[in-house]
Amino acid sequence: MSGHHISSAKFLWGIGTALFILTFITVAVTWISIPAPWNVVVAIFIAVVKATIVALFFMNLWWDSQFNVMLLITSVIFFLLLVGITLLDTLYRSDPIPSF
Amino acid sequence: MAQTSVDIEHKTDHIQHHFVDSDQQFESSKLGMWIFLVTEILFFGALFAAYIVYRAWYPELYLEASTELNAFWGTVNTAVLIGSSLTVAMAIRSAQLNQIKGLIYNLYITIGLAFIFMVIKFFEYAEKLEKGIAPGAYYTYDGLEHEKANIFFSIYYMMTGLHGLHVVIGIGLMVWLVIKAKKKVFHSGYYTPVEITGLYWHLVDVIWIFLFPLLYLID
Repeated sequence: MSGHHISSAKFLWGIGTALFILTFITVAVTWISIPAPWNVVVAIFIAVVKATIVALFFMNLWWDSQFNVMLLITSVIFFLLLVGITLLDTLYRSDPIPSF
Repeated sequence: MAQTSVDIEHKTDHIQHHFVDSDQQFESSKLGMWIFLVTEILFFGALFAAYIVYRAWYPELYLEASTELNAFWGTVNTAVLIGSSLTVAMAIRSAQLNQIKGLIYNLYITIGLAFIFMVIKFFEYAEKLEKGIAPGAYYTYDGLEHEKANIFFSIYYMMTGLHGLHVVIGIGLMVWLVIKAKKKVFHSGYYTPVEITGLYWHLVDVIWIFLFPLLYLID
């Protein structure tokens, strides 16, 4: 089939190695104490970097039709909308905190 | 690899009449899988939303309850899944290069790694259930002070359980791919099911990439 990008084995192993290193960093970062909301921000940031590497180079989005990229980004936007609007409610409820 | 005329005859068998050519068919299948992955992202997204809302209400609960989770085995499982993403990408590469033996070996290794993930998960769950750490109404563990500890574990079991179910489904899909590959269905001109199963598998990995720090590495 023409126009299908074939990654070299070396490249794929390189991406795998990068992901293993980032996993080590994910754990190592918990060994330093980072103050309250920022530890979560750092953890999510590293996870987003790993997910982006998987999406771009294992799921081939780097070489694929940009329509697929748009689908992925749009789903993330809708997820953020879901969480954002829900938090606008739940963070500002006076009381009672629900019984569950 | 030498091709017989029989091989060449079958090279275009897969093209369905409503597509212009093989490439358009391949791109359409990929688009279909990406749309399904969008539904999966929103599906798990709703569970992550529950996690986030509850953590915002009870941050100290998450700090306390997550000590029951074993970060070492969580890390091992993360490495196992990342390895399996690598091997499924290698499987697709083998198919692209018409190396069907390589395709089958890489699929076997991916299935093996996925199986290891489920075995580790099984032991994690077994250890918890023995102590009485069960979801929701069945929670009977005394070891945590927080009165909402059972809700943290409901969220834990829901998220990791559904993720585990997706891993098992992935194993089933890849076994099916091995069976088809042995029947010589795939070649460098047609490996679409391998490609789209690979996409599904990578998403399962990405979901775990987020689950792992959010559940196991709460400081």
